[in-house]
Amino acid sequence: MAPVALAAVAALLFAQAIVRLRRRGRADLAGWDRVALFGLGLAVTLVALLGPIDRLGEEKYLSVHMLQHVLIGDLAPALMTVAVRGPLLVFLLPAGVLAPLARSARVRATLSTLLRPRVAFGLWAANLATWHVPYLYDLALRHDSVHYFEHGCWVVAGFLMWTLLVDPGSHKRLTVGGRIALAAALFACGQVLADVLIFSFHPLYPAYPRRTDQQLAGIVMMAEQLVTLGTLAFVLLRPRLRASRLVAA
Amino acid sequence: MSPTDFSWEPAYIALATLAAVSYARGDRPPRWRLASFAAGLFLVAAPLDSPMETIAAKRLLLVHLVQNALIADIAPILVLLGLTPAMKAWLERRGAARIRARWAILAWLAAWYGTHLAGFYNWALDTGWALNIEHGLLIAGGLLFWWPIVSGRLPAPAAIAYLGAGFVASSFLGLAFIFSTHPFYSFYEHAPRLWGFSAIRDQNLGGIAMNGEQTLVFLVAIGWYVSQLLREESLQER
Repeated sequence: MAPVALAAVAALLFAQAIVRLRRRGRADLAGWDRVALFGLGLAVTLVALLGPIDRLGEEKYLSVHMLQHVLIGDLAPALMTVAVRGPLLVFLLPAGVLAPLARSARVRATLSTLLRPRVAFGLWAANLATWHVPYLYDLALRHDSVHYFEHGCWVVAGFLMWTLLVDPGSHKRLTVGGRIALAAALFACGQVLADVLIFSFHPLYPAYPRRTDQQLAGIVMMAEQLVTLGTLAFVLLRPRLRASRLVAA
Repeated sequence: MSPTDFSWEPAYIALATLAAVSYARGDRPPRWRLASFAAGLFLVAAPLDSPMETIAAKRLLLVHLVQNALIADIAPILVLLGLTPAMKAWLERRGAARIRARWAILAWLAAWYGTHLAGFYNWALDTGWALNIEHGLLIAGGLLFWWPIVSGRLPAPAAIAYLGAGFVASSFLGLAFIFSTHPFYSFYEHAPRLWGFSAIRDQNLGGIAMNGEQTLVFLVAIGWYVSQLLREESLQER
């Protein structure tokens, strides 16, 4: 029930942010599109962690387990980060909570370090590599606490990456080109793992003995990344494509 | 016929020789362009005129797909990269300037998927001579696809979008080979086996080789354009 409780807390925080911003007369920055995106992000997380995806992923199919990981570690963070971009991000925490956190030099320094592109990318890549080591994958399947920790790592790594890619607080840690480079680097890293899964002639994980299932897991990873990172690249490149068309005309 | 015997598609030796002679008569290229052009011609002529052709045309789909990837993907890039600016300008004056990226990608995909349709593929293998048509279509498709990139007409953002679209749109063929559970081509189903691969294993491996090659080529190309984008941004900031 931990996912439901966490989702409920996230929903409450988001709802109060929407209400506070609207009360200030900025409904334009807290529209229903944001509510839909955030709701979709939460729904994706819950669908991935509860019900058939969780059961089939743990008990039968590596491909479904992979689907669960990319949903909670990539798609859901992407949707929620896009939903809270702009002033909504500041309103996400009640003033009584935000103020002491914002004043804390330690919190600021930690966040600043974690959100350095090289640090965040390194953590993301290390997380991806670590949790796909067969021994650790198997360990997580056998111990719930390790499994919860693993899921937590996916979520944190996902939010770190999408914070840099979407830049919801307009901190400009990366230029547009830098964000596209980061997206390409994430895809390339994901592709390495996907290729290992697709091109392996033997099952890598003892709990999942089907080779086709393993290959499908690689495809799931590749396809999901293509959708999320491809959409981001398109959105970031579109103004430049238009500009280059105008110059050509 | 032994797998180590040579098979020939003389048309491509002739074309490669003609291209080499024309190249030698042009302006003096830098060494890297010369090496690139020569490597490109080699990768057109050698896979089609060697034991690789024997194995591809008589025994293993895996080798045929590797051969196709070499002549359709890697050789065209190398040949085009080998052209000097004056050579590119000469080609542009003779019609290459009219090649639009959107049509080039469609023509390339049509060649890529069309030549791998079971009816066409079996016909080409059964007749033997029609392999020249298959390979010609693949080489022409590859040259068309890479021309907008190598000609330098696409700005970095458009090139990234073009390459991304090409990568995604072309990858389904390799994936279909990887995940297939029955052989697509009756020719290879009845061909004498080599190296102990069953027909389906041969096909799966062919898909893996094709997919791996395309992933590598496209990611390198996209990476290069992303670095261009970053360079442009840093120049603008200055």
